[in-house]
Amino acid sequence: MALTEEQVARFSRQLLVPGFGEAAQERLLAARVRVVGADGPATPALVALVQAGVGRIWVDDEGYVAPADRQGWLYPPGAVGSSRAARASEALSDFSRHSVVEAYPAGGVPDAALIFAGSAAQGIAMGEVARKGGIPHVVVEPDAEGGAIVSIPVGAPCFSCARSVSGVGRPPVPGIAGLSALAAAELLHILVQPAGMAGRRIDVVRGVPTTHPTVRLPGCACGQPVVPPSRDEGA
Amino acid sequence: MTGSSAVARLDVRADACPMTWVKTRVALGRLAAGDRLEVLLSPGEAAESVPRSAAEDGHRVVALDDLGPREGVRLVLEKRDGGGAAWP
Amino acid sequence: MSLSGKTALVVGAGGLGGPALLTLAAAGVGRLLVADADAVDTTNLARQPLFGEADVGARKAAAAVARLAAVFPASAAQARDVRVTAENVLALAAEADVVVDGTDNFAAKFLLSDASLRARKPLVHGGVLRTTFQILTINPLGLGGCLRCLFEAPPPEGAVPACADAGVLGAAAAAAGALMGAEAIRLLDGERGAYEGRLLTYETRSARGRLVLVRKRPHCPGCSPEALAAAPAPAAPAPHEVVAGRPGGGP
Repeated sequence: MALTEEQVARFSRQLLVPGFGEAAQERLLAARVRVVGADGPATPALVALVQAGVGRIWVDDEGYVAPADRQGWLYPPGAVGSSRAARASEALSDFSRHSVVEAYPAGGVPDAALIFAGSAAQGIAMGEVARKGGIPHVVVEPDAEGGAIVSIPVGAPCFSCARSVSGVGRPPVPGIAGLSALAAAELLHILVQPAGMAGRRIDVVRGVPTTHPTVRLPGCACGQPVVPPSRDEGA
Repeated sequence: MTGSSAVARLDVRADACPMTWVKTRVALGRLAAGDRLEVLLSPGEAAESVPRSAAEDGHRVVALDDLGPREGVRLVLEKRDGGGAAWP
Repeated sequence: MSLSGKTALVVGAGGLGGPALLTLAAAGVGRLLVADADAVDTTNLARQPLFGEADVGARKAAAAVARLAAVFPASAAQARDVRVTAENVLALAAEADVVVDGTDNFAAKFLLSDASLRARKPLVHGGVLRTTFQILTINPLGLGGCLRCLFEAPPPEGAVPACADAGVLGAAAAAAGALMGAEAIRLLDGERGAYEGRLLTYETRSARGRLVLVRKRPHCPGCSPEALAAAPAPAAPAPHEVVAGRPGGGP
């Protein structure tokens, strides 16, 4: 189904970007993305995904808005103490009628996942879930105003292979929005051209991103082919 | 008129840059390689930049006719394969 | 002095300025001056995070201030619903401790570069095109070059922007604006800028980033001692430096 005139107007500047024409925009509007984490650092990425026209965003976060989450872009003072998933969904609905944002699980299997790891353990666990589900995923490890982004298209080295081994990152600060938006860009590129990206890791230190291809650790299970559950099963 | 008998038509004389090019690019994306698109443009910025953008995207400018100040400009493009959709 | 006592001037509240403002507000910068003379257009909504569907038609500066006030009441955001010109830029810059360039055309960018040197305020310059962004910090007290050191000549005469140049990936603009906001925070904290004297260029599809050194060019018409002495106020952009803005346009 072609884009409506309203959608052409809404996404006009994005439609001019090479690789992001009408077919790509339709892919985005049909895409279902599970975003794990709706804390402060995740909020710029959530905004970017909604604005890009990702059709369904499932916010996977059972926590409550903490004062620290106010360093993000979505939570006013009155939101502290309420459900992060609920407040994020509500705030994001202002940005686009083309996206449905709801709490995960919402029925159905996501096409991709964006994981804001609150800890190394969570990143590894959520990364494994996505990998076994056969879906591309991007994992974000904040470190003060920078940190790391690991992009894992299907078949690429997994998060365990690629993650930082130098220890837990420092608590995030408001400048983390840059890392968050870069992670959203990674996911958007994977969604419009799934076979177009090799696994890679972007480290952002003092505002400067450096990128390296990821390498599989010998013997890692991520080297085995995955038989994903069918799309209609619940996840 | 030479070429295929069915020509897709687009009138963007009421649109401002860059919507003129956005709509043209979307229309081209819906065609098959070798198909033609006739675009009616207002004289001025659009009439200059739309043909240029189309050419940069790899499409062929078949004709660019001045229809006069009231009617505008008629641009005929031939879609080339891979134009606009692929990465440069 | 903590950030709550500082003021940032952000010129342009769109794809670059919006993320910068959100980042600055989230960090607790006390006063945010939002300079933008446009109205919110539907075509802005895919990439300008200060505006939602309900804001279409509103003045951007006012809408930006309203959203910032709602989410970050501790940052006093003020609207300056004006186009920044050679006549008003020095006065605007004088009110701020740092200037952030969220504009969409090179005439404005050169103007801000010239003005920041003369007002002696640091400027975070940025631009985004399709999937590529660039950031450079121009510090009047520093050793790095200005925008005219980087671009030895303005865009060629008669260069009309191609319609295709209006393409922007919103997430790339958001990343750029947020990184610019983080840089402004460093400058306000008294740290050396990460992009001082070096231009960061980053393309999102390849995830390729590059840093290019930007040294002061001898006899630069923007920042050399003789240029500053000869023209203490920035000049209006030359006709061939003016790149026409587009309706509803912006990064």
